[in-house]
Amino acid sequence: MNEMIIAADGLSKSYDGKPALRNLNLEVPRGSICGFLGRNGAGKTTTLKLLLGMLRRDAGSIQMFGEPVDWEASSIAARRRVGFVSEDKDLYPFMNVDQTIRFTRAFFPGWRRDLEEKYLDLFRLPRKKAVPKLSKGMRTQLMLLLAMARGAELLIMDEPTSGLDPAMTEDVLQILADLAASDGTTVFFSSHQLAEVEQICDRVCIIDQGQAVIAGELDDLKADYRRVLLVFEGTPPRELASLPGIDHLSQRGRTASLLAHGDVDALVDRARELGPSSVEVRSVTLKELFLDHVRGE
Amino acid sequence: MLWYKAWLETRWRFVFILGSILLVWLAPLWLPSTGVSSAMAASRMGRALQLESALLYLFAAIYLAGAGINTQTVYAATTGFHNSMLFTLSMPVSRRRLLMVRAGLGAIQTCFLVAIVAGYTLLHQPGGTSAFAVVEYIARAIVCTMAVYALSVLMACVLDEMWQFMGGCFVWVAFFVLQSRFAVLSSLSPLRGMSLICYPLTTPMPWAPVVASLAFGGVFLCASVLVLQRKQY
Repeated sequence: MNEMIIAADGLSKSYDGKPALRNLNLEVPRGSICGFLGRNGAGKTTTLKLLLGMLRRDAGSIQMFGEPVDWEASSIAARRRVGFVSEDKDLYPFMNVDQTIRFTRAFFPGWRRDLEEKYLDLFRLPRKKAVPKLSKGMRTQLMLLLAMARGAELLIMDEPTSGLDPAMTEDVLQILADLAASDGTTVFFSSHQLAEVEQICDRVCIIDQGQAVIAGELDDLKADYRRVLLVFEGTPPRELASLPGIDHLSQRGRTASLLAHGDVDALVDRARELGPSSVEVRSVTLKELFLDHVRGE
Repeated sequence: MLWYKAWLETRWRFVFILGSILLVWLAPLWLPSTGVSSAMAASRMGRALQLESALLYLFAAIYLAGAGINTQTVYAATTGFHNSMLFTLSMPVSRRRLLMVRAGLGAIQTCFLVAIVAGYTLLHQPGGTSAFAVVEYIARAIVCTMAVYALSVLMACVLDEMWQFMGGCFVWVAFFVLQSRFAVLSSLSPLRGMSLICYPLTTPMPWAPVVASLAFGGVFLCASVLVLQRKQY
């Protein structure tokens, strides 16, 4: 069994009585690239902040690197092994690129000078340029450099490619995939870009209203879930909703669209008994999985 | 490197206050051209500095406590303030250490400014002052200013960075008004310990404000650590 780098169990967090996370369970195995998906306000950033000890949880437990993260000392020990890219990409405005790198380097004995040089060249970051004069894309690049060059075992990133142009986004995704493949670095990142998650992630967790609605290996999910399209002569019968294994049902005119998982063949057999004029079963994309789960009634 | 960060955060504030002090000191050199004699101008400036020294210590303590402790604001996009706190908190450093290094450097800078202002002012007293009196005054001015500084640090932990300075000024204006009404406050006031106005050098050491400043300074500093450790970002 894979060692879990992140294991959160029953995580709950409220802001002024309004729940942001509700009994969230999360597992990220070592060496995986895990995409953390959800709508705005679903609880993604809250989860990342809880992992890093920036917020206190109301209930539940967190383990990182197999150790409970319960109090400041254990959180500090975990942070020695974690690289972080925040959502707003804010760094110190009173430092330049070189000073920021030297400041960060001082905290990480395993700092990789080779990666520092490599990413400085790749991102074309001028060492003497002041942070406030960097564009948002360059600040994102600098944060990525700081996260990756520290030799972290785990990268936690909150929308790491926001502000990057498509070419640079592609480069960054490739770098993350390479780090996971060559160094065994675990990557856990939130994103709204389903295409990039599908491109590099081997695992996803979709969160909605503070709860994980779907989680697992991306290939397994794609293999497990199917879209079943049923066309009827008239209005689709109401009995469709009671068929077992349906995650989401939508109707448009004479067509019913089912998102189902598990024993889809048995579901299709039951559906055929309702007399559709045509039945089509096809595989699903991550986008379909996401939309059906976060918009499902 | 936390010291380095703290220095970069505070250096312009430090230079600004130092520049203001130098401006007050050097101003008499320029005044003769306006018809006022150099000696008279120097005397007036020395008097002004005496009157304003407590105000200067207050300003230094509030201003130097303000940068870099709680760098998160909801107004970042419109004010030029920044949200670098998340980056800071992602470093493997305890919040107590973050606070102690930053507050420590600000305290050193504040002490330095208090010492030079107090020393300069007393050494230019008409008739001269003994070295012992200078040291005694500098010591109590520093202790009392540190109480103001510690409260400013606490406010920097509680308030958004952009409100800390205004909040600090408001608190001390309010305190100044209240101490004129309540004798207890007046007898314990750090402003009394910092002031040169009521300082004929023959008067005894104002122990009450000094001891109160030590006690409250310690309480404020402990409260700051607790607030920062419990704060959620």
